[in-house]
Amino acid sequence: MAAGARRTPAEVLRDLWEQYGPPLHFLVLVVVLWEVAAWALRIPDWLLPPPHRVARRFLEARNLWLHTRVTLSEALAGFALSALVGPLVAAGIANFKFLERGVFPYIVLANAVPIVAIAPLLTVWLGYGIAPKIAVAMIITFFPIVTNTARGLTSADYRIIRMMHSLNASGFEIFRKIQVPTALPYIFAGFKISLSLSLIGAVVGEFYGGGDKGLGYLITVTAAQFDTPLLFVAVGILAVSGVGFFQVTALFERRLIYWATQDVAEQR
Amino acid sequence: MEKAGISLRNVGLTYRPRGKEPFEALRDITLDIRDREMFAIVGPTGCGKTSLLLLLSGILTPTTGEIAIRGGPVAEARARTEFGFIFQDPVLLPWRTVLGNVRLPLEVTKYDKARRDARCQELLAFVHLERFADAMPHELSGGMKQRVAIVRALAHNPSMILMDEPFAALDEITKRRLHLEFLEVWQREQKTAVLITHDLYEAIFLADRVAVMTPNPGRIKEVLPVDLSRPRTLEMRESEAFVRRARAVRQILEG
Repeated sequence: MAAGARRTPAEVLRDLWEQYGPPLHFLVLVVVLWEVAAWALRIPDWLLPPPHRVARRFLEARNLWLHTRVTLSEALAGFALSALVGPLVAAGIANFKFLERGVFPYIVLANAVPIVAIAPLLTVWLGYGIAPKIAVAMIITFFPIVTNTARGLTSADYRIIRMMHSLNASGFEIFRKIQVPTALPYIFAGFKISLSLSLIGAVVGEFYGGGDKGLGYLITVTAAQFDTPLLFVAVGILAVSGVGFFQVTALFERRLIYWATQDVAEQR
Repeated sequence: MEKAGISLRNVGLTYRPRGKEPFEALRDITLDIRDREMFAIVGPTGCGKTSLLLLLSGILTPTTGEIAIRGGPVAEARARTEFGFIFQDPVLLPWRTVLGNVRLPLEVTKYDKARRDARCQELLAFVHLERFADAMPHELSGGMKQRVAIVRALAHNPSMILMDEPFAALDEITKRRLHLEFLEVWQREQKTAVLITHDLYEAIFLADRVAVMTPNPGRIKEVLPVDLSRPRTLEMRESEAFVRRARAVRQILEG
């Protein structure tokens, strides 16, 4: 919208600095303190490696990109499946009482089971490949998408629904013209939560699913070998990926449903 | 002879919520609202005004008595999409432009596609919003949004406008300006209008007749004609006839 229009490069830089400056300052402070503390207290590398050792390990390590790619693919595939199936299930739950009462309790029940309890079973069923990891990522991302979408679909103003009924609108017309657009901000809220969860799902799947690829696998191996610097690298990549996922969704959100985030923007 | 207007005969409404005591919202309402009349219903909150509006539009059915619209059942008028609604809040769709919001009833009622946008533009011009056709609702002030809601209710050319406290959320100055604009639109479009309000001055200023309701259970205490000429002007609010009417309504409300 108007906010993005015609800004000079200097203004863009200033905005970026305003947003990322404070956390960067803080990061530098923590890295310096950590470095000094590790050196002054003579903390061994396997216990808490100083930042420069982690950085060197990052540059030396081989197959990092492969592990990263595998884990991100699993996470995104699981998320994508949920993002496709979840809204359909939510539409059923939101519009049909018998589905809400008959099916939704089982979705709640399935969500209540700790994901680590299901992961080994999925390996038994789906083998050591990528499939069980995707399954774990899908299961963990499914619930927030379904609940948020269902809530969004049922949160249209009752008066507008009344008005539509008085105009003889069909159920499908109300669904398409009122319920679905109303639900979009809720769906995005679900997507944001689920994308972060998808990484957890993929890593948990790798912990319990055997195999020899992925950041979760790398973490298990490096922990067993006390290769703590590389473990830090793996954790760091996961953190950066998670933030990246979140930012990309937020970008789509701002573009697609700017009318819903406008209130928030106006409060600044 | 074809019957005109909206007629209510001994209408009563009792809510029977499950597991709770039944609640009598309306009792023995008998009314005749004429075609193209502006009919106001005033009363304190909780006197069943909104329930009455829901009965008129067929969203609720009376427990006792009968309602006829042009001699036929409410359901038939409903099937002919003869109702337009204006609520206390604009309830616009935030993802649609101003024009898109006004066009919604036209889309649903399959109004001639080629004429839709022209019809919306014409309506927006009535309320001086033609320049804002492409604006988004969040870019408008509260008064402007309510004006969009008013013309949206008129878009599909219904014969009756049902209004539930349509000006209650506005500040006094905006409210008075909107009163005048609304009267202008109403006169141009020739609609029967039922106005629910708790503001007795608003009721008198806008309406041809004012029905005064009292609560527990909701009943029509009296129906008073308003002997002010049209078009109404803001000066009339200070006229003796207006003040006399207001006093009469107030005295009935206070019992």
